[in-house]
Amino acid sequence: MTENIVPYIALAGVRKAYRIGGEMIPIFSGLDLAIPDGDFVAVMGPSGSGKSTLLNMLAGIDSLDAGTLRIGNSCLDQMGEAARAAWRAHNMGIVFQFYNLLPMLTAAENIELPLLLKPLSRKERYIRVEKVLDLVGLAGRERQYPALMSGGQQQRVGIARAIVSDPGLLLCDEPTGDLDRKSADEILDMLRFLNRELGKTIVMVTHDPQAALYACRTLHLDKGDFVEEKRAA
Amino acid sequence: MTFFDLARKNAWRKPLRTVLLMVSIAVAFLIYGLTESFVNGTQGAAGASDDLLGVTSASGRTQPLPMAAMSRIAANPDVGAVGYVTRLRGFVGVEKNVVAISAADPDLLMAVNGKALGLTPTLINAVAEARDKVLVGRALAEAQGWVIGKRVTVTAFNMPRADGARDWRFEISGIFEGENAATDTYFMIARYDYVNAARARGKDMVDAFVVRPLAGVSSGTLATEIDALFANSPTPTRTQSERQFLDAFLRQYADIGLIVTLVVGAAFVTLLMIVVNTMVFAVRERRFEIGVLKTLGFSRLRITALILAESLFVFFIGGSLGLVLAKMATMLAGPELGLVFSGLVLAKALAIITVLGLATGALPAFNAMRTPIINAFRTR
Repeated sequence: MTENIVPYIALAGVRKAYRIGGEMIPIFSGLDLAIPDGDFVAVMGPSGSGKSTLLNMLAGIDSLDAGTLRIGNSCLDQMGEAARAAWRAHNMGIVFQFYNLLPMLTAAENIELPLLLKPLSRKERYIRVEKVLDLVGLAGRERQYPALMSGGQQQRVGIARAIVSDPGLLLCDEPTGDLDRKSADEILDMLRFLNRELGKTIVMVTHDPQAALYACRTLHLDKGDFVEEKRAA
Repeated sequence: MTFFDLARKNAWRKPLRTVLLMVSIAVAFLIYGLTESFVNGTQGAAGASDDLLGVTSASGRTQPLPMAAMSRIAANPDVGAVGYVTRLRGFVGVEKNVVAISAADPDLLMAVNGKALGLTPTLINAVAEARDKVLVGRALAEAQGWVIGKRVTVTAFNMPRADGARDWRFEISGIFEGENAATDTYFMIARYDYVNAARARGKDMVDAFVVRPLAGVSSGTLATEIDALFANSPTPTRTQSERQFLDAFLRQYADIGLIVTLVVGAAFVTLLMIVVNTMVFAVRERRFEIGVLKTLGFSRLRITALILAESLFVFFIGGSLGLVLAKMATMLAGPELGLVFSGLVLAKALAIITVLGLATGALPAFNAMRTPIINAFRTR
């Protein structure tokens, strides 16, 4: 699963195992992966194949036992926790299956969260939030609380939050897993727009074959290794 | 939205719980504010000076000293001014309506402590008009409803007149205000010559001398010198600063400071346990969201700051409410209770609020800080 050009994301010889009940359960035993800048990759596979672990490692929230992980110019495997947090704040956005919005914050405040980590004025933050709200089709719903929004709308807020700091990489963990088909298609259209028009590199973990069709290519993971790759027609 | 707004909204996500926490904090600081105000204001201790010295008998404060000792004290070159005072305690009307009278030479008292008491030349002239004139402190005048010109009869507990009666009649010629709110003005100033001439015994004796050291002179050193002066005399002295004197006076009855410390300490320890317990649960409930914030790029330090800010917010709102109530209570209670909610009390309370806010937030903040994101996500 390598590319000839210099990849944006490069995993080499990655090993990862979890200790469960005193026994080490291997997840990856030398995983390699290369994703070029601006790619839209769907990762599919059965439960326990390592999809979520892969996404967690790409997000820098889970560590590698061995191997290297480079994203852009950053070697995540050599970073400490504080450095990885700073890296996430500036380089990555993440979209969760269950949106994970903070219930006591309005849509605009949820979206503004990553901007609190940047040296921006209140006005600059406001302008950015308004811009992404417009981008995801939620203009005018700034003051609405998540509990009063549909699943599709909440996921739009989740996407807006992920892209508001303009990261190069977007990680999506089953972004349509909790949505009906219509809402799911709207979300996937939006991801495709972000990839094609704004040049975001997207890695999306999904169980949904129809969702995978929106990606440029689909990688199938099984027992900790990529077993198949399909490219979009 | 600011970082503080985020902390504030976190604190308000369960309003009832937060309000109850704030109420318990408010009650604790109400207790603190009242007890500290009591200690601060009792017997004018808040306004007591370290520079003003009181010379009493080494045998006890109730033992008199001869008036003649004043000239020996005044001869010390370090003495700026010296006066004398004899105390008369009695009641007006009913026995529980106790008042205190300091019989002094008004001019000398003015020189020694006129500024702190708020004495003016006008007041001194007024009391000089006749021997039975008195000056009344503002707190006492307000509590009794007395005005200038009113005649007052004080029935003495400890000082009979030469004719055997215990009633002392005075006419109020002025009201002294005290330098500030902390000054004790719940007493009267009478003329020593009047009291001394009319009393049955103890003539030409005084209860204490009041000494003001010269500027730049150490009051401690001067106190030692004065006591050395009378060390081998029939009436050895004990010289203390006004503050030391009042502290010692209060300790005759009880160590109020210790009692207050114990009461407030118990209240705060209980409060600390309640708030820490609640905060730990509140943060544990939000472990998943803390994981989300960390995923968005919030560092461990920021998460720690967020929890501490939330805890400080709850403490500042609750504590401020308690202190406002305490301030109002001291104002409503009136001066006779001696409650003085000074800037010092407020400053100490704010410091305690900050320390308690940080202390109660520390454990949940530490837990939130060290929780790995992966573990946080498993809690849903």
